[in-house]
Amino acid sequence: MKRSYLYLAAVLSALFLLAPSSILAAGKTLRVAIIAPSARNDLAFTQSIVDGIKAIQKERPIELAITDGTFVVEDAAAAIRDYAKKGFDLVIAHGSQYGGSLKEIAPDFPNTAFAWGTSADTFGLSNVSSYEAASDEGGYVMGVMAAAMSKKGGVGVVGPVEVGAAKLYVDGFVKGAKAQNPKIRAKVNYIGSFSDVALAAEAARALMASGADVLTGTSQMVVGAIGAARAKRVPWFATQANQTELAPEIVVASQVYKWEVVLKKILADLDKGIKGGRKYQINLANGGIVIEFNDGYKLAPKVKELGLKTIAGIKDGSIKTGNK
Amino acid sequence: MADSLAVLIIVSTIASGIRLATPFLLASLGEALGQRSGVLNLGVDGVMLLGAFGAYYTVLQTNNPYYGLLVGIGTGLVLGVFYGFITLNLRAEQGVSGIGIYLFGLGMSDLLFQKFVGTPRPILPFMPLHFPVLSDLPIVGEMLFQHSIIVYIAFGLVPVMSFILYKTTYGLNIRAIGENPEAADSLGVSVMATRYSAIIIGNGLAGLAGAALAIELGIFQQNLTNAMGFIAIALVYFGAWTPTGVMLGSFLFGLVQAIVLQCKTFGVIPRSASDLAAMAPAIITILALVVVAKRFKQPAALTKPYVRGG
Amino acid sequence: MSQINSNTPMLQMRGITKRFPGVLASDNVDFDVRAGEVHTLLGENGAGKSTLMKILYGLYQQDEGEILLHGKPVRLTSPAHAIAQGIGMIHQHFMLVPTLTVAENVALGLKSSRGPLTDLKTVSRRITRLSKTFGLQVYPDAYIWQLSVGERQRVEIIKALYRDASILILDEPTAVLTPNEVDDIFVIFRKLVRDGRGIIFISHKLQEVLDLSDRITVLRHGRVTGTTTPDKSDRHDLARLMVGREVKLAPDKHQVEPGEPLLVIEDLFVYGDRGKQAVKGLNLKVRSGEILGIAGISGNGQRELAEAIAGLRRPKSGRIMINGHDTTGYKPGQIRKIGLSYVPEERMKDGAIGEFDIKENLILLNHNHNPFCKKGFLCFGEICAHSKRLVREYAVKTPGIDTMTSNLSGGNIQKVIMARELDAEPKVLLASQPTRGVDIGAAEYIHERIAEQRQQGTASIVISEDLDEVMALSDRIAVMFDGQIMGIIERDQATRESIGLLMTGETQAPVETV
Repeated sequence: MKRSYLYLAAVLSALFLLAPSSILAAGKTLRVAIIAPSARNDLAFTQSIVDGIKAIQKERPIELAITDGTFVVEDAAAAIRDYAKKGFDLVIAHGSQYGGSLKEIAPDFPNTAFAWGTSADTFGLSNVSSYEAASDEGGYVMGVMAAAMSKKGGVGVVGPVEVGAAKLYVDGFVKGAKAQNPKIRAKVNYIGSFSDVALAAEAARALMASGADVLTGTSQMVVGAIGAARAKRVPWFATQANQTELAPEIVVASQVYKWEVVLKKILADLDKGIKGGRKYQINLANGGIVIEFNDGYKLAPKVKELGLKTIAGIKDGSIKTGNK
Repeated sequence: MADSLAVLIIVSTIASGIRLATPFLLASLGEALGQRSGVLNLGVDGVMLLGAFGAYYTVLQTNNPYYGLLVGIGTGLVLGVFYGFITLNLRAEQGVSGIGIYLFGLGMSDLLFQKFVGTPRPILPFMPLHFPVLSDLPIVGEMLFQHSIIVYIAFGLVPVMSFILYKTTYGLNIRAIGENPEAADSLGVSVMATRYSAIIIGNGLAGLAGAALAIELGIFQQNLTNAMGFIAIALVYFGAWTPTGVMLGSFLFGLVQAIVLQCKTFGVIPRSASDLAAMAPAIITILALVVVAKRFKQPAALTKPYVRGG
Repeated sequence: MSQINSNTPMLQMRGITKRFPGVLASDNVDFDVRAGEVHTLLGENGAGKSTLMKILYGLYQQDEGEILLHGKPVRLTSPAHAIAQGIGMIHQHFMLVPTLTVAENVALGLKSSRGPLTDLKTVSRRITRLSKTFGLQVYPDAYIWQLSVGERQRVEIIKALYRDASILILDEPTAVLTPNEVDDIFVIFRKLVRDGRGIIFISHKLQEVLDLSDRITVLRHGRVTGTTTPDKSDRHDLARLMVGREVKLAPDKHQVEPGEPLLVIEDLFVYGDRGKQAVKGLNLKVRSGEILGIAGISGNGQRELAEAIAGLRRPKSGRIMINGHDTTGYKPGQIRKIGLSYVPEERMKDGAIGEFDIKENLILLNHNHNPFCKKGFLCFGEICAHSKRLVREYAVKTPGIDTMTSNLSGGNIQKVIMARELDAEPKVLLASQPTRGVDIGAAEYIHERIAEQRQQGTASIVISEDLDEVMALSDRIAVMFDGQIMGIIERDQATRESIGLLMTGETQAPVETV
């Protein structure tokens, strides 16, 4: 007897908890918060997620709050907790370094949905979802084109630290370059910092001096590398956002993240009352990753054609990019 | 063939070390001047950031990098007056107020950037200078005579600073006040005026360091300096408070960075060890600090506010 | 002494009054200096000597009164201003920059002949000339940190002379000098006044004041209590003017027959803080009913010796015997139980706890024993009774036994420490600099207590830099130099000169064995 009462109570309370989000979702303004490590207009990592949510804002009412520039994890953790306390429906922790904090905070706010990227881990928590970009796909496309463009037979990469999305992109780029030209010298320089712009510039110079005549790089410090490449007119492949503005004369193409693709899915699931536990990914096939060519750059038609063919190949599965 | 390649690599590594050392050198020369007068400024990085933004914005508007340098220096001078007021007139604890300046610079430079620029746009950097004959010399030419003007300004300031410190009455005043302000005061040297001037010039150099960084890179972004200012402070200790020592320290730091980069580029350092190698400059600095700290003493009156009869 | 010039005084200070919050530091003081004389300002700590001189040097401004230089009123607003008026000051704590050279120290603050550039060559040349003229030997290129205290003082004097000072203020210039250095510097001072300068000499060492001065003005509580000349006064007169009552400068000592040796030190080696040998093979014996004075310039191993005897510093080798026990390597507490009382050099660091009240400091030695502590609880009744008795017996001037110790004057803190230490009825008393910075009244009292202890058969060691103190108290005087005893002299055979020579290690007297 007693046990059945308990069941009943549990079911009732579960319904009660789920009710507001599912019933009210349709017309209600959703409150979404983003916490990100760099500036919202960095033409890179942080801007990509902000652009994503803004794209969705055109379709449905969203009250958006952004805390950017929190490269100190403790500050980010405080902001995450703050937004959860204020009753935001979805709190997006946009930075793989925030995982540890989120793992501690999320259980304290079971009614709040959290999204964490870029990552593929939800910590087994029912209110945390993860999202990531198959950046190796774009990297592969860039690698193929870069190898095709190189006259000296060398391409170079300025990377931050060999982990996460950066590693994924760099590995994809190297794999693509080798696929195009097995003899290519693909040099990778992980400078050990996400933010040391001056070092990034020198790394690019060192790569160019060692015979790399096409460059790419990832993380917010690449602005330094782009500047160095621009001074020597060395073509640059961009990732995370369209970086054409930074150096219109050398940026060939940019891998752009359309996070709205996964954000839409996350919101749709939230409407259904699913607060987390799921893993999302953007890629070329689902339109979350787009290769944007710089029309101002005079790219040989052959190379562009090669790039487009590679994109198609990845989309239909005939080309495998990652190690997965 | 192998030999000429080796020479090429060495030359470009040294050139790279010189470039990397430049902003550190400017900032630590300024810090050394302030510390010699007995004032610690932990806010160098903040001043650099504001100087960097000021310079960046100016070049963005005027397309003239020289105006950028001037605005960078000016920003530093203004902050120097501010810092002098806090530490000399109000006699605030120097460690804490320096950190305050840093946080102010960090936040303010980003805020101004967001407000007035928003999306990063490249600016016109300094072009490498070309000296007749010198720049075309083999080896030495690339190593020493193909840098931008700012490199020559920075290294040229070293003898200038040495001259001021050791050959002028003003320098004598600074050295005396940093050690025993009472003695200087008792001989009619104004402790206040001397410290103010040292702080203002020192901050001006920090502003110039920031400007040099932004203009050399042709860009600004949040936290552009990446805590360079703090390294610059460590380099002052490393250099035992002398301009030449500070220069050697900055160059060594830049050179180690450049060597590590070069090694990574050529795969000498395995990828798995690359994060470890990135710490090399810091580790070498710490080791050198331990050695230096034993041999040399900091200015005796460093961080101590001066009150007559106190 | 030199004849007094009857012309207008070089300097006249008239009716100078200076108030600080709660204190009248200078109360309607008149003071003047004539060319060619040494005019001494004498007074206890806080009598107002420094205040008066700081006003003269432009560091403070007087509230009332006027200053006339060569008959003309002046307002001295800064040291620079005072220097420009021909006033030079040699501070007790040297105003030198250790990391700079002699020439740089002298050049500091001066206008250079080369405009913004320093002109050390010219400065050095003039320093050499000055040093030859006045017998002040200094090397312009030497760094201050390389110099001895005496040499540093010469630099200070050169600094003032270089600025053409006609009035020199000498603030306790002999405090750090050996007797022989004092003699030398006095010769120089006389040379300076013979040249037409005026010297204001500040000191509390009565014998020196009588030796050097042409006139003496005594200050007490900010007021002038008398002006006199050495031929009309002696040390007792000066002490009376300083303290305001009759003062005994040496305690009465009754005839006591020395008994058994209670402290024996054999071949003692002790390391200093920097790992260098500070005490090098030292031998001493002190007998019951005897006071052994240890004279010497500080820094010659006295502190390390005291700490080794008290158990605060472990000797490297050698033996220390107290009351027949070998206490080498014992802990301080064990040594105290055997019968040592210790009055340390650093009163506020090792002697008493400033933040404790008087009664707490008085029971520091035995707070955990009967009767002050029973079953782990402090017995405040006993503690208060005990403290009140000691405060009364030792004439500690304090509002009460609950007063925070750091609020007392140096002399009274020293009395509290003496009370605590002597109440333990020691076999051996070790007192380091017992009256340093203590006013004459309290010093007199402390000396009497140490002499009394001698009557009771205690073996006492008094370590002091103050030669007058050592001469007044001791039965025998040991002179320490470079970690060794250079000689032991019976009091009645000791002269300042003989001790002075031993203090600098220039001679060595045979060390007698008892």
